[in-house]
Amino acid sequence: MTNITRRNFLKISAAGTATAILAGCSQETERWVTLEPYVRAPEEQLAGVPNYYATTCRQCPAGCGVIVRIMNGRAVKLEGNPEHPVNRGKLCARGQAGLQLLYNPDRVTGAVRQDERGSRKFDSVAWNDAINTIYEQIDAAGSGVGVWLGSTTSGHLVDLFTRFTEAIGAPAPVRYDLYAGFHGYNALQSATGALLDGAGLPTYDLGHADTVFSFGADFLGTWLSSTGYGVEFGRFRSQPFGQRGYLVQFEPKMSITGAKADRWVPLRPGTEALVAQAIARIIADEQLGSAERAERAATLAGDVDVEEAAAACEMPVEGLVELARAFAAADHPLAIPGSAVAGANNAAEAIAAIQALNLIAGTVGQPGGMSVTPALPDAPLAAPPASTFADATALIERMNAGDVKVLLVHGANPAFDLPAGAGFVEALANVDLVVSFNPLVDETSVHADYILPDRVYLEGWGYSVATPAFGGVPVISSQQPVVGPLYDVRSTGDVLLTVARGIPAAAQALPWTDEVAFIKEMITALPTGAAGGQDEEVRWARYLQHGGWWPVEAAAETPAVIAEAAPSVPPTTYQGDEGEYPYHLHLFMSVLLGDGSGANQPWLQSTPDPMTTVSWQTWVEINPATAKELDLEHGDIVEITSPQGAITLPVYVFPAIRPDTVAIPIGQGHHDLGRYAKDRGANPLALVGLETDASGNHLAWSNVRVNIRKTDDKRALPRLESTIETDEEVHIPF
Amino acid sequence: MLESRADSSPFWQPHDPEDEHLAEQVEHGREEHLLLDPLPPAENNAIVLESMNKTGKAFWMAVLGLGGLTLAFLATWIVQIFSGIGVTGLNRSVMWGPYIANLIYFIGIGHAGTFISAALRLLRMDFKRPIARAAELITLFGLAVAALFPIIHVGRIWKLFYMMPIPNQRELWPNFRSALFWDMTAITTYIIGSTLFMYLALLPDLAMARDHSTGWRRKIYRALALGWRGTEGEWHKMESTSNILSYVIIPVMFSVHTGVSWNLAMSIQPGWHSTVFGPFFVAGALFSGVAAVILVMIVIRKTMRFGYFLREEHFNAMGLFLLIMSFTWIYFYFAEWITNWYGNLPMEKAIQRMLTGDLAPLFYLMLFANIVVPVGTLWSRRVRTSLPAMFVICVFIQIGMYIERVVIVSGFLSRNELPFNWVNYTPHLPEVLITIGTFGFLALMYLLATRVVPIIPLWEVYEGQAMQATRRIGRAILPTRTESH
Amino acid sequence: MADNTTEHKWTMIVDLDKCTGCQACVVACSAENNIPTPSEDEILRGRGNQWIRIERYWEGEYPNVKARFLPVFCQQCGNAPCEPVCPVYASYHSEQENLNVQVYNRCVGTRYCGNNCPYRVRIFNYFAPHFDEPLEQQLNPDVTVRSPGVMEKCTFCIQRIRRGRETANAENRPLEDGEVVPACVQACPADALVFGDKYDENSRVAQMVPNERQFKLLEHMGTEPAVYYLKGGETHVGE
Repeated sequence: MTNITRRNFLKISAAGTATAILAGCSQETERWVTLEPYVRAPEEQLAGVPNYYATTCRQCPAGCGVIVRIMNGRAVKLEGNPEHPVNRGKLCARGQAGLQLLYNPDRVTGAVRQDERGSRKFDSVAWNDAINTIYEQIDAAGSGVGVWLGSTTSGHLVDLFTRFTEAIGAPAPVRYDLYAGFHGYNALQSATGALLDGAGLPTYDLGHADTVFSFGADFLGTWLSSTGYGVEFGRFRSQPFGQRGYLVQFEPKMSITGAKADRWVPLRPGTEALVAQAIARIIADEQLGSAERAERAATLAGDVDVEEAAAACEMPVEGLVELARAFAAADHPLAIPGSAVAGANNAAEAIAAIQALNLIAGTVGQPGGMSVTPALPDAPLAAPPASTFADATALIERMNAGDVKVLLVHGANPAFDLPAGAGFVEALANVDLVVSFNPLVDETSVHADYILPDRVYLEGWGYSVATPAFGGVPVISSQQPVVGPLYDVRSTGDVLLTVARGIPAAAQALPWTDEVAFIKEMITALPTGAAGGQDEEVRWARYLQHGGWWPVEAAAETPAVIAEAAPSVPPTTYQGDEGEYPYHLHLFMSVLLGDGSGANQPWLQSTPDPMTTVSWQTWVEINPATAKELDLEHGDIVEITSPQGAITLPVYVFPAIRPDTVAIPIGQGHHDLGRYAKDRGANPLALVGLETDASGNHLAWSNVRVNIRKTDDKRALPRLESTIETDEEVHIPF
Repeated sequence: MLESRADSSPFWQPHDPEDEHLAEQVEHGREEHLLLDPLPPAENNAIVLESMNKTGKAFWMAVLGLGGLTLAFLATWIVQIFSGIGVTGLNRSVMWGPYIANLIYFIGIGHAGTFISAALRLLRMDFKRPIARAAELITLFGLAVAALFPIIHVGRIWKLFYMMPIPNQRELWPNFRSALFWDMTAITTYIIGSTLFMYLALLPDLAMARDHSTGWRRKIYRALALGWRGTEGEWHKMESTSNILSYVIIPVMFSVHTGVSWNLAMSIQPGWHSTVFGPFFVAGALFSGVAAVILVMIVIRKTMRFGYFLREEHFNAMGLFLLIMSFTWIYFYFAEWITNWYGNLPMEKAIQRMLTGDLAPLFYLMLFANIVVPVGTLWSRRVRTSLPAMFVICVFIQIGMYIERVVIVSGFLSRNELPFNWVNYTPHLPEVLITIGTFGFLALMYLLATRVVPIIPLWEVYEGQAMQATRRIGRAILPTRTESH
Repeated sequence: MADNTTEHKWTMIVDLDKCTGCQACVVACSAENNIPTPSEDEILRGRGNQWIRIERYWEGEYPNVKARFLPVFCQQCGNAPCEPVCPVYASYHSEQENLNVQVYNRCVGTRYCGNNCPYRVRIFNYFAPHFDEPLEQQLNPDVTVRSPGVMEKCTFCIQRIRRGRETANAENRPLEDGEVVPACVQACPADALVFGDKYDENSRVAQMVPNERQFKLLEHMGTEPAVYYLKGGETHVGE
C-alpha cells in the first residue's frame, strides 16, 4: 500500500492551495471550462497533463474521499483518495458516476421561477431578484420557516441552516430522506446509546473479525458505508495464516453480502432479533465459549425460549446451537444489525438485542469488534444526526397547520422519498413559498416556486463528517470545487448568508462573508490533524490537499458498557392481514441507484444489478416455487398490493429468496428528475404505510405484507445474463 | 461386334425410307433425345433469338416486382450503413447472422453452374449441353450476390479496402493467416475463372446473335463477340482453352466452399470447429446448386418456350444428380451431427436447441425438405420428369438448405463456453428485407440477362448433334457419339 | 537511464473470494475508457457493451442456493484466438506491451474476432457512440471514442501503462509495482483485483500467482490468458 500512497502523494501535491483559492473566489467560470490559448492558460494547466484534486463524494451519505482527475479544466475521472480513512483509495459504482451528476444534461442551469406549481414551466429569473424575494418572504415569515435537508447535504449547509433556524426561532432543520429511513442512522445510534456510554453511530471492525453474523446488513452493497466495508471485507477474507473468516448472513432475500457469505440463512422477515436473542440464550445456557462470555450472556440474554424462537424464525434448534457455538468460540465475533431490522416496528429494541451479542462477545472497542464513531474534538461543526421519521412528520404537520410560510429544500426529495400516505405534496399547498436548491428538477422541485440550483458537489464547497468512520478516527472530509461551475448556479451557503444579512437576528448568528470563510473558520479551529501543518493557512491548504481532517491516531478510549439487563424485544407485527396479503415485502436499495437520486445518471441506470443483472428497470423478485404456484415467469407483469397501495412491475424469478417473500429494489419510479430517470420502473414506497415503532420515531417499512396478482401483460426485463431458459443444470465453467 | 467403321453414320443422315423399323427408331430417338433431333440451324437460332427479343407484359411485371425488391434491398442497406449494424438483431454473442448465412447460401447455389459445366464437360456427359449456359449464369450472379454479403456484413464498409492486398507505404498487408482472407481470395478467383469460362463459351453464340440482330443489340453483340468469325483456329483455341479452364476451375470450386466453411471451422466456436465442414459444405453447395439449376431450367423452359432444348432426359438426369447429392449431403450432415450429439459437450448444446428447443420447427422443416422430400420422391422417373413436381421439390431443397445455413451460423453462435452469454438471435426487419431483396436482385439480374445472353449454348448443341451417329448392330440402330476428339 | 524498455508481462489476478459483484469496476471502466451507455433497448437485444461483465451463476436450489460472481474481461491471451482470424491485423499481439491490442483505425468490423473469443469479451460498436450534452465533457482525452462498426475490448488501461512508463522514464527510474493500475483495479473496494508485471519477481502478482486456488478461465482452450483467477473458498463451521 505504501506505493499507492506515495504515488498519490505526488498527484495530490499538484493540487491544493492554488486551485482552492482560484476556484473559490472566481465567478468567472468560463476560464475553467473553455479552451484557452496556451499563453493565457492557468499556470498549473498543461494540455494533456492531468491535475488531481481531493474532494468528497456526495452520492451517498458515507463521505468517502475522492480524487478528481482534471484535464483541460474538465473533470474526467473520480478515484478514491488513498489517504482517506473511510474508503482508503477505493470508490464504488455510485461514487464513480458522480461525474454524471456534474455533467448531467438535465441540470437546472440557473435560478428559475415556477408560476404554477407542478406546471413544469420554469422561467428564468435573475439571481438577485430571486434572493430578494426569498429574503422578503423569510423576513416576513418570522419563525415560520421550514428547512428540509437530506443525508447527502453538505455538513456546512446543515450547520449553517441549523444556526439560521436557531437565530430566527424556527425549529431545527429536518434531515430526513430515504437514506435516513433505510439505513436507520437514528435507530442505530439511539439503540446503541442504550447499551454503551456516549454512543454515536456504531462502526464494525470487519477487517479484524473472524466470525461475523450479519442480520440483514448489506454492507457490501448499500448499507451505511459500502466502500469502507468493502475494503474491510477484503481484509476479512485475507486474514493471517490463510484464515478467511466466517460470515453468516441472515436475510430473507440474498443480497450481494449474502452471496459472499459462507452461510446464507433465509430468515423469516422480522425474526432477526429473535435469532440473536436465542443465540445469546444458548451461549448462556450451555456455557459456551469463555467463562466471561457465558457470564455476560447470562446477564444480557433475554428470557427467550429457544425452541419457541426456533419455531418462530423457522430454523432448527440444532442450527441455532451450531451458530451459538461458532459465535462463542470465535476470537473476534461480530454481530451487525442491518437495514431491515431498523425498519421493523421494534427497531430500537431489535437492534439492541443484536448489539447485545457484541457485548457478550466482549469485543466492544477492540480490534474486530463494534465501536462507535468517535465524536469530533470540541468542534463547533456538528456530526449532524439524521432526523427521525417523527421529525419529518412533525414538519409536515406544521406545514399543514399553516405554520410554515417558507419551505427550503436542499439535497432531499421528500415527494419521492416518503410513503405517499405521509402527505408531503398535499401539505405543500399550505406553504406560501417553496424553494428547492436541488440541481435537477426532481419530484419535490416540481412543486417548488423557485429552484435556486446549488453547485453540485464537484463545483462546490463543503465538508462531510464521515458516518460511520473507520479505524476509530473521526473524519471530516473536505469538499472543494474541482471545476468551475458549469452553469449560472450559486452555492446555497452563499445564498443563505446573503439572506441572513438582511435579517438582524440571523445576521448576528451568521456573520461570515461567504461559505468559504465559514468553512475555513470551522476547520482551522480544529487541532492539527494527520495532514499536519502548524500555521493556519498551511493547515487549511493541507486539509484541502489531503482530502480532509482526521487525527493522526485513533483515540484509545473504549465506550463503557452501560447495559445491565437484556433488552426486551416486543415481537414484530406485520402490516396487513396474513390471509389477504400472504407475502412479506422486502424492500432493498439498489446497489447502483441507491436511494434513487442516482437514477438520472446513465452509468448507474445501465450497469446491471449484481444479483439479477437487470438494468434500467424495477423488478420484483419471486422465488421459483412461488412463481410456479402463481404461474409466473420472467417478465410477467404483476400487481403488488399492500394495505396502502399497489404497483405493477415485471417479475424476476429469483432463486435466493424465501417463498413467502417478495423483494423490490428502491430507486426507480421517478416522474421527474430527468430524461434517464423519468417514467421508468415503479416506486415501491407506495406500498409502505405510516406505521412506526413504539417510540414513533422510526418508520416501520420492513414489516409490510403484500399480495401478488398476475396481469395479462408481459414485459421483457433488460437482463445482461443469458435469458435462455434451460431445464438442464447450467454448466458453470469454473 | 461392330462390323466396320463404315456402318457408323451420322444420325440425321437420311435413312432408307423403306426401312420402317429404322424410321420408327429414328423417330423415337428424336423424341427422346435432343441430340438426336437436329433442326436446321436457322430454326434453332430463331427459337433462341425470339426468346431473347420477346418482352411481354409478364416480363415487365416481373422486372417491376424484382426491381422493387432490389430497391428495398438497396434502401435498407443504405439505412444500415448510416445507422450502424445495430439495426440488425445481432447481439454480443451472435455477431454473425443471416448475412454470413446468405453468403454461404448464395455461393452454394452458384456452385453447381460451373461444376455442371466443367466437370460434365470433362466427363463428356452430353446432357449438360443445353443446360450449361443457364447453370453458368447462376454461378455468375450467385457469386456476385454472395460477394455483396461480406460487404453488407462488415461494420465499416468504407474501410473495406484494408482487406485487399494493396501495396501501401506503411507496408500494411492483410493477414494471410485469416480464413476470411483465404475465402476472399478463393471467391475472387472463382468469380474471375467462372466469368472467363462462361464468356469463352459464349463467344460463338454472341457472334450468332450479332449476325442475326440489328440496331443497338447488334452494336452490343458486335462488341461482346470480340470479332468471332468461327475459323478453325478460333474453334481450336476455344476448345483447348475451355478444356484447360475446366480442369482449373474444378479445384477452385472446391476451394471456394471449403474456404467458406473454414471461416467457421477454423474458429474455436463450439459446433463450428469441425473437420468435416469442408466437404460437408461442398456437398451442401452442390445439393442446393443443382436444385437451383433445375429451378431455372423449369422456369426458362416454361417462359421462354425451350421445350425443344430442355427435355425430359435433362430433367431426368438432373433429378438423378440431385438424388445423389441429397444422399451425399445426408451422409455429411449425419457425420457432423452425430459427433456433436455424441460428444454432448455443454457448449455444443445448441443441438439440444434444435432437437427439442426453440429451433426445433426450423430443424425438422429442414430435415423434411432436405431428406424426406428428395429421397422420398426422386427415385421415381415419373417424378423426375414432371416439371411441377420437380419445381416443388427444388423449392423445398432451397428452403431446407437456407435454413441449414442460418442454423449453423446463428444457432451455434448462440451457445458458447460461458453460459452467461448465451443469447438467442432473432432476425429484425433490416436483415429480412436485405435477404429477400437480394433474392429479388439475383432474379432480376438473371431475368435481364436472359434477354441479352443466348441462354442456350447453341454451338454446343450443334456440336453434340453433329457428334451423334448411328451404329448398326444386327438389325438395331443405336445412337452413339463420334470419336471426334 | 532507467530500463523501462524490457518486456513486461502485465497480469491481472481476480480473487473470486473477494469479488463482491458491486460493479464499481464496471463503472470505473466506463468512465476511464469512454464507453457509451447501453440503452435499455440495446440490453434487451442482448448487447450490453461494458468491457467488464460480472457474470453471476446460480448454484444449487433454495435454500441451499449460492450465487457466484465471475468478473470477465479481456484475458489478454498469450495465444489469442482473436488474433489470427482478423483479416486486417486490427486485433494483434503487441510485443512491446505483451498485450492483445485492438487497432480501432484498422478495424473493418468483420466481427470474426468476436465470434472466436471464447470469453465473449469483445464488444462491437453497433451504433455510433452518443453522449447527451454535456456528458461528453467527462470523456477521457487519453482514450479514443470508437467509431461505429469497430470492435473494442478491455485494454488493461494501456493508456495508463504508457503514461506511467513515460513518467518513470522522464524521472529516470524504473516503473514500480503498483504504480500503474487499470481503473477497475483502482476502484475495487475489496481488493479483489490485483495488477502488475509478472516478469518482475517482486511484484505482488508474481508472488500471488503460485497459489493453490489459482486457475485460468477456460484453460482447456489453450489461450494462455494473462488473467489468473483465485477460486472462491468457503468456511464451514460446525456443519
